[in-house]
Amino acid sequence: MTASVNCATEQPQPGGDLVEIDHVSIVFPGSRGRGTVVAVEDVSISIRRGEKFLILGPSGCGKSTLLTAIGGFIPVSAGEIRVDGKPVTHPSMQRVLIFQDFGQLLPWRTVTANVAWAIGKRWPAMSPGERRGRAMQYVELVGLGPQADQYPNTLSGGQKQRCAIARAFAVEPEILLMDEPFGALDAINRERMQFELNRVWAAQEEKATIAFVTHDVNEAVHLGHRIMVMSRGPGRLRALRDNPGVGSPPHDGAAMALVDELRDLLKDPT
Amino acid sequence: MSTIEVPTTGARRAGLFSQVINAGAMKKLIVLVMLALAWEATVRLLDVNKLLFPPFSDIVSRLFQGLGLGGSGELWSYIWETLSVILQSFAISIVIAVVVTGLAVSNRWMREVLSVMTGIFQPLPSIALLPMAILWFGFSRESLIFVVVMAMIWPIASSLTVGFATISPTLLRLGRNYELGRTAMMWEILLPAALPMMISGLRVGWGFGWRTVVAAELVFGATGTGGGIGWYINNSRLFMNIADGFAGILLVIIVGLLTESVFRLVQHLTTHKWGTESF
Repeated sequence: MTASVNCATEQPQPGGDLVEIDHVSIVFPGSRGRGTVVAVEDVSISIRRGEKFLILGPSGCGKSTLLTAIGGFIPVSAGEIRVDGKPVTHPSMQRVLIFQDFGQLLPWRTVTANVAWAIGKRWPAMSPGERRGRAMQYVELVGLGPQADQYPNTLSGGQKQRCAIARAFAVEPEILLMDEPFGALDAINRERMQFELNRVWAAQEEKATIAFVTHDVNEAVHLGHRIMVMSRGPGRLRALRDNPGVGSPPHDGAAMALVDELRDLLKDPT
Repeated sequence: MSTIEVPTTGARRAGLFSQVINAGAMKKLIVLVMLALAWEATVRLLDVNKLLFPPFSDIVSRLFQGLGLGGSGELWSYIWETLSVILQSFAISIVIAVVVTGLAVSNRWMREVLSVMTGIFQPLPSIALLPMAILWFGFSRESLIFVVVMAMIWPIASSLTVGFATISPTLLRLGRNYELGRTAMMWEILLPAALPMMISGLRVGWGFGWRTVVAAELVFGATGTGGGIGWYINNSRLFMNIADGFAGILLVIIVGLLTESVFRLVQHLTTHKWGTESF
């Protein structure tokens, strides 16, 4: 446990910007075709290679919309999102989305087969044996070894999310997009999963880039190297904070101070 | 993690047969034997006319003879005749249902058309269409197939449509995320996700079809043409071979139960295991 805590506080290796969000606005048609709803307004921010970047905001502030747009699932209305210098136009295996929904696993495949399926999509030339071996490695990494041959319907919510995380890490995407993946878990399990995510991230030789959306201040401070705060209606960039104490226990002094500051930012409507 | 011990795949596979075959099988068997004994005793003790209501043992022995155990084995050809009609109708129904579903899923109006048609034909026993079918196609195999198809299409098409229309958007997104093409999306996401509703639709459709084909053959039997199991039952009446008639009825029940258990086995191997079963 101590070893993992040490790993978790590890800072990302110096790396350039991976994702550039350049004056992005996202506008939806309003209900019954009347007017428009501005979900995201003029957000400019960069996500660095190998960091855990937290997007924190109240519900309905457009943070999930922004993440989905980085994934290429919805188009931006103005501005541009670039990954590795190239504009995002459609979904890609280089940007794997992890949902809050426990139903993101293929119910007809076992834990290992779910991971192996994704690996097969990423590297079609890989032999089935090799896929399985690699899948097992990631299943073990997230601590699902004993459940490797079970079907998703026999797993708990936390185990399902672990499997989804294993599947996403296994295909080595340029960036993992996590949309409140622990939002539907109970408090104890949520904390455990945050700890596990820090551990899995630290265990990778080449550190993964993660963009993580949440409305939970403690979660943001526990996970994020940098934390972006969004305000609601329309979703704007409110503040950006460095978090040198990432991964430290929640009762740590510096962490508490940042939690308080972020909480105030979220409460204050302006 | 505090996890409840879940049986591994191996253990579950060993339990499969016991679950399908032994689930309350003993109690059911006892009830069946008691019913048979009650039948036998009633007929033998209460001086019932054995010609009109034969003892159960006669019926069983006629059934065995009909199936070739110490007899002619003539029943096989009748079963085959009926099964070939229903299998052919089943295949036709599936093809039509798939086409209809394809239209209904892609077009809002077609979905309404399907929904209204299903609503109209659901309460109508399709055997009621047999007189018209006889006018159109004569006393032919085509008439039988027509009414059986009319019985099967609607439950199959409506389940398929519901199955495809209710696929989780998360799984569709997953498919897009992993850059699946149309074919891969179909085979790796849509079809397995719709499978629970597909199986239940086919199961209900087959059940409707089986009742309809036997009923239709009975009507054909009255006119002296045709040659399925329903025809055999009616023919037994004509020649006062009531034991044969009952043997035919027993056979209809047995074949119905066997096909039902085939569907249940498919469910057990797929949707039940995945926890996505629809009923």
